[in-house]
Amino acid sequence: MNSGSLSGGRSWPSRTSLTSSGKRIQKEMAELNTDPPADCSAGPKGDNLYHWVATLFGPQGTPYEGGIYFLDITFPTNYPYKPPKVVFKTRIYHCNVDSSGNVGLDILDENSWSPALTISKVLHDLRSIFTNPNPYKPRVPGIAHLFLVDRVKHNALAAEWTQRFAK
Amino acid sequence: MFRRHNITARIFERQIRTPSPGTSVHCARRFYENIVPGSTIYDVECPDHSFRKFTEDGKYLISFSRDHQDLIVYRPTWLSFSCKQEDCDSQDLPVKAKKFESFFTRLYSVPLASASELICKDFFLYAETNQFGLFATSTAQIYDAPATGGAIQGVPSIEKITFHLLRLEDGVVLDERVFRNDYINLAHSMGVFLFDDLLAIVSLRYQRIHILQIRDSGSLVDLRAIGEFCREDDELFLNSSAQTISSVDKRAPEHMPMNNAVNGLHLEQPAQENPFLTGIKQRLLSFIVRGIQSEEKDEAMRIQSLKKKFYFHFQDYVDLIIWKVQFLDRHHLLIKFGSVDGAVSRNTDSHPAFFAVYNMESTEIIAFYQMSSDELYSLFEQFCDHFHVPSKSSLHMNFISSHSNNIHALEQLRSSKNKATSFSLFIKKVLVSLPFNCQSQSPSPYFDQSLFRFDEKLISAVDRHRQSTDHPIKFILRRPPHTLKFKIKPGPEAGVTDCRTKRISSFLFHPTLPLALSIQQTLFLQPAVVNIHFRR
Repeated sequence: MNSGSLSGGRSWPSRTSLTSSGKRIQKEMAELNTDPPADCSAGPKGDNLYHWVATLFGPQGTPYEGGIYFLDITFPTNYPYKPPKVVFKTRIYHCNVDSSGNVGLDILDENSWSPALTISKVLHDLRSIFTNPNPYKPRVPGIAHLFLVDRVKHNALAAEWTQRFAK
Repeated sequence: MFRRHNITARIFERQIRTPSPGTSVHCARRFYENIVPGSTIYDVECPDHSFRKFTEDGKYLISFSRDHQDLIVYRPTWLSFSCKQEDCDSQDLPVKAKKFESFFTRLYSVPLASASELICKDFFLYAETNQFGLFATSTAQIYDAPATGGAIQGVPSIEKITFHLLRLEDGVVLDERVFRNDYINLAHSMGVFLFDDLLAIVSLRYQRIHILQIRDSGSLVDLRAIGEFCREDDELFLNSSAQTISSVDKRAPEHMPMNNAVNGLHLEQPAQENPFLTGIKQRLLSFIVRGIQSEEKDEAMRIQSLKKKFYFHFQDYVDLIIWKVQFLDRHHLLIKFGSVDGAVSRNTDSHPAFFAVYNMESTEIIAFYQMSSDELYSLFEQFCDHFHVPSKSSLHMNFISSHSNNIHALEQLRSSKNKATSFSLFIKKVLVSLPFNCQSQSPSPYFDQSLFRFDEKLISAVDRHRQSTDHPIKFILRRPPHTLKFKIKPGPEAGVTDCRTKRISSFLFHPTLPLALSIQQTLFLQPAVVNIHFRR
């Protein structure tokens, strides 16, 4: 699935009659606002409910500390039956994020996605990849390898990336 | 106490009195009240060039040939002639003296244009410390250029823009810098700013601020490009860490499934669009988000605030482009952001815009303002001179009147503020001049508002063309006795009988001498009427 073409098909669902997916997204938004997960926030871009931006703050004690990461979240029209698509718009040195910013996260996979999951859960899991990268299911094997064999060097590099590209 | 203001009295006073501390330059400048360019030679016979400006040290008069091919440089000299009669003060000037050549000596002429490029006659910057001049030539604009190779959509393209660095002493071209298929706003030097030896060039098409240094040796050296990346070695770093990642891959191919996707290695496929925010946008967005975070203490309020102020406008922020830049000092840039439409349209007033202060050493955004920001306006009102950064070398550049150093200019600003019907519209109107055009103001003492009063609609220190009226422009003493000291009248002495044609005037004032050129042009390609205003 090509993820680079974000600007291409910006769909504008009708606002007068909200579809079930729209209703669901609104509900999740209200939920997110009352009980926001730590170090992150998210909201719709403009008045398009299906296109969100999330901001993740690099958690303390990780090489991503001090970084601010912007992510695009796109909900499919048949949400929640299909998972949202999440792409990093900020460069990050991480074994689970590839060169185009696509995230390798289990729950975002079509096969493992469950309609019971919510955007709050997605944000929570996204945040946890900062603290616990998963080198066994990498998007970038090189980084995963370095993470396993030389953690110090990996963290130094990741911190350098944070300083340069995520400030 | 009764004080005489004639020049003898002033010289005598200068001998016997020490001026109050810190006012010696102001006192010396008052002599300009006595020495004024009150005589005019109308329609002087002169070469048919476009006269651009006097350099800020007054050493050179820059002009271009009408066909935009050659640069012609003159040295302003003082008129000298002999007169046989007695009482020659009342005599008219001898015909031989009434020539362009008696005021200006031609130093040289250099061809700058090439087969396809022409000189941009609106562009000229002067590096005073080493007497270098920066000129530009370019090919014609292509308006519907396709946006390829990372260029943004909607900005025209110029096939080739060349900046020429010249030693003005002898006209030798020292260095050149070429931009290809790019767009740099050259009118009134808008897209380029010179501060000491640092040059900022805004590539509108590729959204980069190129920082160059003019070395004493006469070479133009690239220091950094701000836009896609922030630090000068970011790109190198990205490439080299991509290499180390792949070398790790090679060492351990058996452990890992091979994956060609290497984080950050977009550079190998320049045709593909970069999926990430550019360096400067990342800085800008994180500055805004941090600002909202720290502004709101209450969590629920903060979430609402982020939603309304940040996420809702996120795409608008992402779509902003760099319009214009100026240096505030050696490290800080004032950057104006706006929409693509506003960048190329002549009337930028109606388009929303933002200002950011960026530190290029720490690569941080220091401040971000809306176009109608009260805070930025009050900074501008109080500290206008911090926006006008003069070169360090010449003292007289510090005396250009602004509302921060001149009470009369401040009064004028205040009165138009009080007259304004909407305060936010007024702020917008005032701040539209930011960032300032580089070297756009004449340091001539005759524009010093503590010395003279004049109609700013007709003439001012700001270098631009104005519509001509048939009335002479009056310069009136600011201090008592408020008398008319001299007049500047562009165009032919008798005036123009044909009132239908629109006439445009420009004025070139020498920075220190009582010498000025007024150039009046009609819209048709008739030769301009050049008058020389000087002190007899």
